[in-house]
Amino acid sequence: MSPSAATEVAPPEGALDGPSLGPPLRALARRSSVAFRRRPGSLFPVVMPLFFAALSTASFQRATGIEGFPEVDGFLDFLLAATITQGVLFGGIQAGADMALDVQDGFFERLLATPVPRLALLLGHLAGAVAFAALQTVFFLVVLGIGGASVKAGPAGVVVLVLYGGLVALAIGGVMVGVALRTGSTEAVQGSFPLVFILLFLSSAFFPTALMSGWYRDLAEANPVSWMVDGARELVIEGWSFGAAAQALGVAAGLAALTMAFATRSLARRVRAS
Amino acid sequence: MARSGPPVEAEGLVRTFGSVRAVDGVDLRVEPGEIFGFLGPNGAGKSTTVRMLTTLLRPTAGTARVAGFDVVREAGRVRRAIGVALQDAAIDPLMTGRELLDLQAVLYGIPRATARRRAGELLERVGLTGAADRRVGTYSGGMRRRLDLALSLVHEPAVLFLDEPTTGLDPMSRLALWEEVRRLNAERATTVLLTTQYLEEADQLAGRVAIIDQGRIVAEGSPLELKARIGAPTLFVTVPDGQEAGARAVLGGFGDLRPGAAGALGVGLAGGAAEIAAVVRALDGAGVRTEHVELRAPTLDDVFAEVTGHRLEGAGGPAGGGPSGANGDGDGVGAHGPGGGRRGGRRRGGRR
Repeated sequence: MSPSAATEVAPPEGALDGPSLGPPLRALARRSSVAFRRRPGSLFPVVMPLFFAALSTASFQRATGIEGFPEVDGFLDFLLAATITQGVLFGGIQAGADMALDVQDGFFERLLATPVPRLALLLGHLAGAVAFAALQTVFFLVVLGIGGASVKAGPAGVVVLVLYGGLVALAIGGVMVGVALRTGSTEAVQGSFPLVFILLFLSSAFFPTALMSGWYRDLAEANPVSWMVDGARELVIEGWSFGAAAQALGVAAGLAALTMAFATRSLARRVRAS
Repeated sequence: MARSGPPVEAEGLVRTFGSVRAVDGVDLRVEPGEIFGFLGPNGAGKSTTVRMLTTLLRPTAGTARVAGFDVVREAGRVRRAIGVALQDAAIDPLMTGRELLDLQAVLYGIPRATARRRAGELLERVGLTGAADRRVGTYSGGMRRRLDLALSLVHEPAVLFLDEPTTGLDPMSRLALWEEVRRLNAERATTVLLTTQYLEEADQLAGRVAIIDQGRIVAEGSPLELKARIGAPTLFVTVPDGQEAGARAVLGGFGDLRPGAAGALGVGLAGGAAEIAAVVRALDGAGVRTEHVELRAPTLDDVFAEVTGHRLEGAGGPAGGGPSGANGDGDGVGAHGPGGGRRGGRRRGGRR
């Protein structure tokens, strides 16, 4: 290294000493939200659950009279938690597909070439998905509210349901983003759609487990989706209960913790592999 | 934060993928303020080397320092000091140019006010002010490349890596991008390492060029120095099928045989144009029909052919040449031979 070849490397003008986590996290979350807003496919996780809700209500309205069916004012009340869960699960798949697209087309590599902490790339992306899920939840509450559904737990229940939507988005987003980071394939992420569907239908989301029988009931009762949906539903149809709120949020948070661990490991693996 | 040393320095850089040695012991030193060209065909190891230098890929062996920092142990510091525009201009099509510049600025920790000012300046600089608030998905290839360049400059990097910056661009967009790189280098003394598979690009832009083939640097120097190694111009001769052996024997008597392309044979002709008639007469005397002859001053493609034994993928026919049709250092003299006439469908004449 000859002295004549020396070069001084100064930090960028106005740059912080090192990029902190907050601003990049917010900027990446904003970008993720922009993608949700501008992609026409983003309507799917909003419209499809409403379609299912309308169809199920028309088909099963009289089922509310069956002995063993929870006490509800209408089938839409029973479905509200399921509609939120379904919409947010679909949104989470979209978050994974967006990440896979970033990996596939090289945008993720562009982000990796910046000095931003690696974890911010993951958290920022998922923060956008969580924000979208919160908006979805509010939207479902309003639309199904117009249709006649109401949250018996009142404003506190609404707050819990919005938090619940965010946590479910984090849980499903964690899995999907993990898959995206491991495979870098949108097909792989979208291919998991039927699995999510099965998970949802093998739960108490659309029908009470009390009215199921045999292996189907066993599977539904063992399915964590049932546990969290039942907690959320209790707030809607029975009223405020700390136990129900804790069940809805606790199960969703537990699942989110597991899937975030998976996503973080997937991120580390991708960064290592590159 | 300051660190002295060459902007880019690599020793024995190796990267393997399974049993494939994509980069096989690259030594590199780029001096401050220079535009350094990394020239080679597809799959030669250019992009893999750049990915290691930009911390996106860990070297299997060897060391590299960029902006004075080790690319493995001080990867974060390297990232802060460099700008990177990778192959294919990976840009989110759903965002606008301005939004992407804002995002990039935040990722480098630049305060909002400074970021806004700089985004405006950069958009102006790359001629995208009018399209700044349009989604990138509506941009042309040239616009995307220019935005890509602007993104890599947001934090005013000391070292700029451009990986095949003009691949796929039309000639006008290519020229505009070259101009921008030159201006950047001249005004801010930004050190630029660019990879290219285009001879003309390396010739036009780079002060020094390293030619890489099969993961190894096979020649290095200024384009003039490299071409001077070749010395004599090359005469490319096209003969009918089945007469190559006879032609080769004749041509060997006039100078060193050089790799040709697209069915042409090449020979170094120390006497230049004055010897063409003698060559054609000798071929005629040996019963070899000459279909086409063309004399070319040494090009980087000749250098490449000389050191590797084959010509650059994508370079022109016998006369080499760049992607836009200009061959950079031209001076070609072409003629159809006495028995000649162009063979249908065969390309020659060096422009592609």
